[in-house]
Amino acid sequence: MTPSYLLRRLFYGLLLMLGVVVLNFLLIRLAPGDPAVVIAGEMGGADEALLAAIRADYGLDKPVLTQLGIYIGNVLQGDLGQSFFFNQPVATLIGDRIGPTILLVLCAQVISILLGVFLGVIAARKPNGVLSGFVSVFATIGYAVPVFWTGIMLIILFASVFPIFPVEGMQSVRLRDAGFMIRALDVAHHLVLPAFTLALIYLAQYARLSRASMLEVLGSDYIRTARAKGASERSVLFKHALRNASLPILTVAGLQFGNLISGALLVETVFNWPGMGRLAFDSILRRDYPTIMGVLFFASAMVVVANLLTDLSYRLADPRLRGKS
Amino acid sequence: MSALLQIEDLRVTFNTRYGPVTALDSVSLSVNAGETLGVVGESGCGKSITALSVMGLIPSPPGKIAGGAIRLAGEDLTQASEARMRALRGAEMAMIFQEPMTSLNPVFTVGDQIAEAIMLHQKVSADQAFRDAVALLDRVGIPSPDRRARDYPHQLSGGMRQRVMIAMAVSCRPRVLIADEPTTALDVTVQAQIFDLLNEIQRDFGAAIILITHDMGAISEMADRVAVMYAGRVIEQGRADDVLDLPQHPYTRGLISCIPALGKGEDTLREIPGVVPPLHMLGAGCAFADRCAHRAPRCDSEKPLLQAHGHHPVACHAVAEGRI
Repeated sequence: MTPSYLLRRLFYGLLLMLGVVVLNFLLIRLAPGDPAVVIAGEMGGADEALLAAIRADYGLDKPVLTQLGIYIGNVLQGDLGQSFFFNQPVATLIGDRIGPTILLVLCAQVISILLGVFLGVIAARKPNGVLSGFVSVFATIGYAVPVFWTGIMLIILFASVFPIFPVEGMQSVRLRDAGFMIRALDVAHHLVLPAFTLALIYLAQYARLSRASMLEVLGSDYIRTARAKGASERSVLFKHALRNASLPILTVAGLQFGNLISGALLVETVFNWPGMGRLAFDSILRRDYPTIMGVLFFASAMVVVANLLTDLSYRLADPRLRGKS
Repeated sequence: MSALLQIEDLRVTFNTRYGPVTALDSVSLSVNAGETLGVVGESGCGKSITALSVMGLIPSPPGKIAGGAIRLAGEDLTQASEARMRALRGAEMAMIFQEPMTSLNPVFTVGDQIAEAIMLHQKVSADQAFRDAVALLDRVGIPSPDRRARDYPHQLSGGMRQRVMIAMAVSCRPRVLIADEPTTALDVTVQAQIFDLLNEIQRDFGAAIILITHDMGAISEMADRVAVMYAGRVIEQGRADDVLDLPQHPYTRGLISCIPALGKGEDTLREIPGVVPPLHMLGAGCAFADRCAHRAPRCDSEKPLLQAHGHHPVACHAVAEGRI
């Protein structure tokens, strides 16, 4: 893995981000509705003069391509614009919310990979066993069930039947002023249900994928070699086989990251999690163009970074890819 | 005194969709320390299953050792616990496989893979094991072993990888070394080098070698004694010279006459007509009968048993009756 390879990947990543900015901008302009009317509605009146003033104020009277040019220029300087609705810089709005989203997405990713791969490995050990059947059924259900439905069912379960996990928000009001550790534990407690809801669908996929991948690897010659030198079953499974079986899992983990972020949007809405997803959802309803574009910009940046990291870790995991570009 | 490794009446069955089939039927073999036993036969005759049975690596299910015994220095391996087998595998008996390209784990360096075999059976530090691995790579003739030990399998040629496999197999000085077609995937020049290496290692370590092959040339070069297998049975067994010079079973004769000789002016390669019958379709008689020029009614109704005739035991009615 050479520095020039890294630089090239970074350059492509930036190019991709630019493409995303342009596409986002144009797509949102294609959507029906006039933001000036929305803004005017927020202010309580809407005669033509006011609308014209608002359009002039926000630059909405200029041709679309000019607006695009201005927007790209601003983005390059780190200015994502001013929210129509909050009347605050979009960067500030996102900055306040990106932390909880990253926390939620990363936790869900870690839970789904660790648990999913573990289940898949166990299932692959006895491909015709009871556990293997259970994993297959669980994976199919987990894959088929929509994430908002899982969330709502979990809310019902834990709000009324087993009230052990909070079903809403990220922090308890009464613990706002407690010490750091207490607050961290409080956040973790609030995180359990949304993270598991978001993790469930991917967990199922990882379980299936790693079961299949492990089964393939376990039939290979080098596994027989490992057994022939007297390696224990656990070493065969978790050292010799899993390292090889993890390659397709890594690929999927990278690709899934984007889906995970869009899934977070729904989960945040269901559990009232104060993240970017809810901001995006509300902004779309309000036609708050700068905020929507800002959220999309950050989400795309996260996906680009995740893909870059996947590619790098793939190279770490598979020595055959090192030194190639 | 009994042999170091003694296989007695071994019977291995596999559950298949055609019902249970017998992959090995009353196989008896033995090999002494410092001796090389060649096991020959076509694909599917049970050579590799025999080797995997000794190692306790028969995939089970569907495979199962249904009868007989495998004694290593008197200890019956068919009765040994899995933990005991793990302790023996790699330490007392080791195996070299046919496919050097795929038999090494692609994500670990070859040095680490050899060191792992050492650490599984000896109480040494990881550093010491790695140094031992480098010494072994040197021993099997890999140039600049320090550097090569840090290479991954894909950076080595096929011949080098087989040398690595051999280094791994002999790392704990096993008493029995099973080589399952160790040179099939390699160039002819490399084949000769690998055989030389196996011979040297046998001299150094005094291991008993079971060489599984379908290459009669390899047998004549390497083996002290040879067992010919067909459809899961041993059909002829004896000193390598005897069997090669004076083959008795029609199948063995066929195998030997199939070796193309240079300078004899033969235009076509000779072959044994027909194919090995599928194991689930074996009848009551001799499995070779369909392909045999000396077939008699008795051959279809009664399985010939391995019995002494001439120089060495053979399982053939025609030979026993003096028809050939």
